Parts: sequence; C-alpha cells; structure tokens
Amino acid sequence: MHAIYNFVSGPLAWVAFILFFGGILYQLISRAIMAKKKDAFIYEYWSFYHAFRSILHWIFPFASTNSRNRPVLSVVTFIFHICIFVAPIFLFAHITLINEAFNVSWWFLPDGVADIMTLLVIGACIFFLIRRLTQPDVKFLSNAWDYVLLALVAAPFVTGYWAYHQWPGNQLVTILHMLSAEILLAIIPFTKLNHMFLFFFTRGYMGSEFGAVRFARDW
Amino acid sequence: MRKNILFIGVLLGVLSLAAFSAYSQEDIEFVEDSAFTDNMRPLPAFKHDEHNEMAGLECNECHHVYDDDGNLVEDESSEDQECSECHGAEGDEYPMELVRRYHLNCRGCHLSEKAGPVACGECHAKAP
Ligand code: HEC
Ligand code: HEC
Ligand code: HEC
Ligand code: HEC
Repeated sequence: MHAIYNFVSGPLAWVAFILFFGGILYQLISRAIMAKKKDAFIYEYWSFYHAFRSILHWIFPFASTNSRNRPVLSVVTFIFHICIFVAPIFLFAHITLINEAFNVSWWFLPDGVADIMTLLVIGACIFFLIRRLTQPDVKFLSNAWDYVLLALVAAPFVTGYWAYHQWPGNQLVTILHMLSAEILLAIIPFTKLNHMFLFFFTRGYMGSEFGAVRFARDW
Repeated sequence: MRKNILFIGVLLGVLSLAAFSAYSQEDIEFVEDSAFTDNMRPLPAFKHDEHNEMAGLECNECHHVYDDDGNLVEDESSEDQECSECHGAEGDEYPMELVRRYHLNCRGCHLSEKAGPVACGECHAKAP
C-alpha cells in the first residue's frame, strides 16, 4: 500500500498537474493561432467591455433569459460551480499537504463548511444525472461519455467525503480519491470540461459581436 | 514510639514514590500538543514507548537539539519540551507551521520507511 500511496501522491500528481496546466496552455495557444489564421475578425470584434458584460450576465443566475427559463437548473449549477472550486482549493487537508511539500499555505475553510460544500457537489451531480435520464431533450443529446464524465467529476468528491468520514477502507479510498482527482485534472483540458477556461472566450466573443457590432444583447 | 514514626515515615515515602512513579509512567497514548486548543481532527494515536521500541528510534530523532549552525547535536535531547515550543506556534494565527513539522516528522518517516500510517484517517482515527 505504501508503494501505491507514494506513487499516487508523488509522480502521478506531478503528471496530472502538468497535463492540466500544460493542456490549458496548449488549448489556449493553439486556438488563438487557429483563430488568427482562419477567423481573424475575432480579434477585430473583441471588446473587453462587451465581453465582460456578457460573461457576467451568463455567470449569475437569473441574469439571462436562458437562466430565468430554467430557475432550478440555474441555482443548482451556480452552487455546484462555486463549491467545485472553493471546497478543494480552501480545504485544510489539501493546504497542509501543499505546505508540507512546498512550504506555502493560505486561508482555509472550517472542515464543517467544506463538508457541506462537498455534499452540495454530490447532490448536484445526482441532480444532473437524473436530469439527463429523465428530460427528453437532454436524454436525447446524451451519450455514454457524458455519463462517464459526470461520474469522473463526482468521484473525487464522493471519495473525499468517504475518507474524511473514515468509512470502511478509508486508506484505499484515500488513494482512490487522489487517483480520481488526478484523472479528472488531466482530462479537463481535453474534454468538454474545458469550458472551465474556454467559456470566457466563447462567451466573451459572443458578447463582443452582439454588443459592439450588432448593438444587441446576447443574454 | 520512635520506631513507629520511622515506620510510618518510610511507609509514606514508599507510597508516594509508588504513586509518583505510577504517574510518571502513565503511558502516552496520543499526541496532544497544548498549542492546538480546538482540535479539528481526532487526536492521533501514538503509543510513545511501544512505537519507539518497535521502530527502534533514538529519542533525539524527534526530541532533537540543534546547535547555532543548524547541526543536530548527537547526544542531547529536548524531551522536556513540546514540539510547539520551538516550532512556530506564536501569536493568534493558526499554527500551520507546527502541523507541518508534526506531519513531516511522523508521516515523513512512515513514507520513507514504507511502514506506519500515512493517510489522514489512519493517524487521526475516530474512536471506534
Ligand atoms: C517518534 C518521535 C518520538 C521519539 C522517537 C521519542 N519521542 Fe518522546 N514524545 C514524542 C511526542 C510526539 C510526544 C508528545 C508531545 C505532546 O503530546 O505534546 C513525546 C513526549 C515525551 C515526553 C513528555 C511526556 C509529557 O507528558 O510531557 C517525554 C519525557 C519523552 N517523550 C521522552 C522520550 C524519550 C526518553 C525518548 C527516547 C527513548 C523519546 N521520548 C522518543 C515523540 C517522540
Ligand atoms: C529545542 C527546540 C526544538 C524542539 C523541542 C523540537 N524541535 Fe524540531 N527542530 C528544531 C530546530 C532548531 C530544527 C532545525 C532548523 C529548522 O528546520 O527549523 C528542527 C527541525 C525539525 C524538522 C525538520 C528537520 C527534520 O528533522 O526532519 C522537523 C520535521 C521537526 N523539527 C519536528 C519536530 C517535532 C515533531 C518535535 C517534537 C517531537 C520537535 N521538532 C521538537 C528545534 C526543535
Ligand atoms: C523515524 C521514523 C518514525 C517517526 C519519526 C515516526 N514513526 Fe510512527 N512508525 C514508524 C515505523 C517504522 C512504524 C511501523 C512499525 C511496525 O509496524 O513495525 C511506525 C508505526 C506507527 C503507527 C502504527 C503502530 C501500530 O501499532 O501499528 C502509528 C500510529 C505511528 N507510527 C504514529 C506515529 C506518530 C504520531 C509519529 C509522530 C509523533 C510517528 N509515528 C513518528 C516510524 C516512525
Ligand atoms: C503519521 C500520522 C499523521 C498523519 C498521516 C496525519 N497527521 Fe495530522 N497530525 C499528526 C500529529 C502527531 C499531529 C499533532 C496533534 C496534536 O498535537 O494534537 C497532527 C496535527 C494535525 C492537525 C492540527 C490539530 C487538529 O486536530 O486541529 C490537523 C488539522 C491535522 N493534523 C490534519 C491532518 C490531515 C488533514 C491529514 C491528511 C492530509 C493528516 N493530518 C495526516 C499526525 C498525523
């Protein structure tokens, strides 16, 4: 078990973070070059004011028509996205591990709050699953990979919750927790989860074209 | 009469010695540094004497003393001090540095020796 633990918490963590950050850089740079070649007008139309205006309207619940039409989904996705970022980054256990390795640390959440946020993420994933299975249009558009992706997103949170509460097998589950999070980080740039960083560019461009060129709103 | 007083005196002495040594031999079962006032996790189990015998550790592996140049002083021990007295637990800020030292000391050795607990829940185990 120690050999696996060492491997998963050491070399594999490096690989995951390199793929994550390297993948983000690669995607951004390659897309920027492609746009320059094929759609140079993207650069001409781009307007920071209109981009941010549109991004803000699409980020907050009820600030766009689309969001007002789906109130429950809007609230769930908003909470989900906040928790999925804040809980891991401000979790004591993660910060102390980073502090032990690199001697840097920052503010952390009380464990109880992180625990609730984890439950909210798991609850949201169940909601997304049920939505995919039951809502005809979404069901029609879903393929097997969508379900796998959803499971990959949920896995680090389920295993983290499991390990924290020390349910049976928590040593093995701690290893699975690190492993599943590493898989998730590594695939984010190369799957549709890359909306994590591409959202700001797609939305920003839409906002620019609609706002600065067509003088219309896009929310 | 004098004999009786002597006897009682000796008896009292033996009793208090027994009581004292029973007290001082009270085995350490957990690490409970006084710098952590509001523990977030269950106390880590640590059967001091048993652990150190089993792992064959010198006292100053943990209760170390360093000279001014930062070199370990071989045959001195700081067993009369808590780790927190030397490792960053001043002021009102959370003693992150102290947690770091404990983890590097305990977990660090377990990782490199490939023996002993390494996952959070193995050391900070809830009482069954
Ligand atoms: C693996 C690390 C380690 C080793 C090796 C070790 N100790 Fe300790 N010792 C500790 C810790 C941790 C504590 C508890 C600190 C606390 O709870 O504040 C402690 C506490 C003590 C205390 C204080 C008890 C008290 O109630 O204040 C004494 C005395 C002590 N150790 C003596 C020794 C002696 C003698 C040896 C060598 C035979 C030794 N230790 C080896 C880690 C170690
Ligand atoms: C008398 C003061 C003193 C006490 C008590 C003390 N340390 Fe240290 N410790 C030092 C000094 C000095 C260093 C070397 C300089 C540095 O790293 O800050 C050091 C280094 C360390 C290191 C890094 C080097 C190494 O050995 O791996 C760790 C980890 C550590 N101490 C843990 C502990 C733990 C755990 C305890 C309690 C069992 C403890 N210390 C008690 C003074 C002390
Ligand atoms: C220098 C090495 C070293 C240090 C420092 C050390 N340990 Fe260990 N520890 C070991 C080894 C080796 C074992 C495994 C012994 C065995 O199973 O034979 C072990 C086992 C354990 C176990 C399991 C005991 C059992 O009954 O199975 C616990 C709990 C533990 N250590 C806690 C601690 C804590 C807490 C600290 C810090 C205060 C600490 N250790 C510091 C080497 C170390
Ligand atoms: C090898 C044993 C060991 C492992 C593994 C370990 N710890 Fe600790 N931890 C300790 C010891 C010893 C202390 C000092 C406890 C004390 O004095 O109360 C400590 C202190 C702490 C403290 C400060 C005291 C408290 O309860 O508020 C926190 C928080 C903590 N650890 C969290 C973690 C987390 C999170 C992990 C997993 C990433 C972890 N620990 C893994 C041994 C361990």
